[in-house]
Amino acid sequence: MGYASSDHGDGAPLAVKILIAGGFGVGKTTLVGTVSEVAPLRTEEYLTHASVGVDDLEGVSGKATTTVALDFGRITINSELVLYLFGTPGQERFWFMWNDLVNGAMGAVVLVDTRRLDVSFASIDFFESRGIPFVVGVNCFHGVRDRSQEEIRKALDLDPQVPLVLCDARNRAASRDVLLALVDHLMAAQRSRTAPLPTS
Amino acid sequence: MKHWTEGFDDGDADESLVRPYTITGGRTTSERDDLTLITLVTTISEASSEIGHGLRRMQPEHRAILGLCRRPLAVAEVASALNLPVSVTKILIGDLIETGQMRARPPLAFAQAGGFPSMTILEAVRDGLRKL
Repeated sequence: MGYASSDHGDGAPLAVKILIAGGFGVGKTTLVGTVSEVAPLRTEEYLTHASVGVDDLEGVSGKATTTVALDFGRITINSELVLYLFGTPGQERFWFMWNDLVNGAMGAVVLVDTRRLDVSFASIDFFESRGIPFVVGVNCFHGVRDRSQEEIRKALDLDPQVPLVLCDARNRAASRDVLLALVDHLMAAQRSRTAPLPTS
Repeated sequence: MKHWTEGFDDGDADESLVRPYTITGGRTTSERDDLTLITLVTTISEASSEIGHGLRRMQPEHRAILGLCRRPLAVAEVASALNLPVSVTKILIGDLIETGQMRARPPLAFAQAGGFPSMTILEAVRDGLRKL
């Protein structure tokens, strides 16, 4: 059937991606691995503090250049569509500038750990400010639901429209349901959309 | 008499950064800016018989990419398989596209001004996820 207007007709499927974000140790790579059809892959990129990619290596020794690593996985939706899941690197201040990682994402899942909600604040702020749709997945992998959803929402200062779902990143069905919550959120936004996406 | 190693650069300095770019002949940026992490690249099969044609310095990595991409792979997957940084991988893939040995399919761009996934795509993703 062909999904894109820019269908090249060369037999290659169309790729879409979802970002799996959140602070260090919230279970991003676990979630990617749980739902991916291949073992999570790892790739690296050089980022300078001043730019995205490596566009100036002259005098590089004096520059803050960092290698960031990210884990990603793949879900073949059908013969024409492949979904890639990218777990964002732990160091937010670097990947926030990595346009290639952020651009073109359908949306994002921000994972939070109720014991350390603060490590995911930056990701929420980032997607809000960029107008990228997201859902919050509360990773209950330690088996303790010590806070009510309302408490978590309040602590995260979450917009009421942003879905919040409980999950266990080690569990395939639960991880899939977080992704489905994002897709439902995107569909609801699409239905109610009459004008271009608001910027905030 | 000069020793044969004279004039060799001290390649050990900052090796983690410099070494990958020796593969690209020192180039640090791709001439193509349209390759993204999830651009799907495929080897053009009819071109594989004349591998190296038109490319001044065909590196083993170029050949490895052509071998890998007999089925479509994302740029990130190629980088991961070759254990090379994404930016280096993009340069090498760019070479192969330039010489007509690969083709690229760009992803749909969302989350940018005016961009939003169509209902058709969203329904397909939802149905695919439900089958997991």
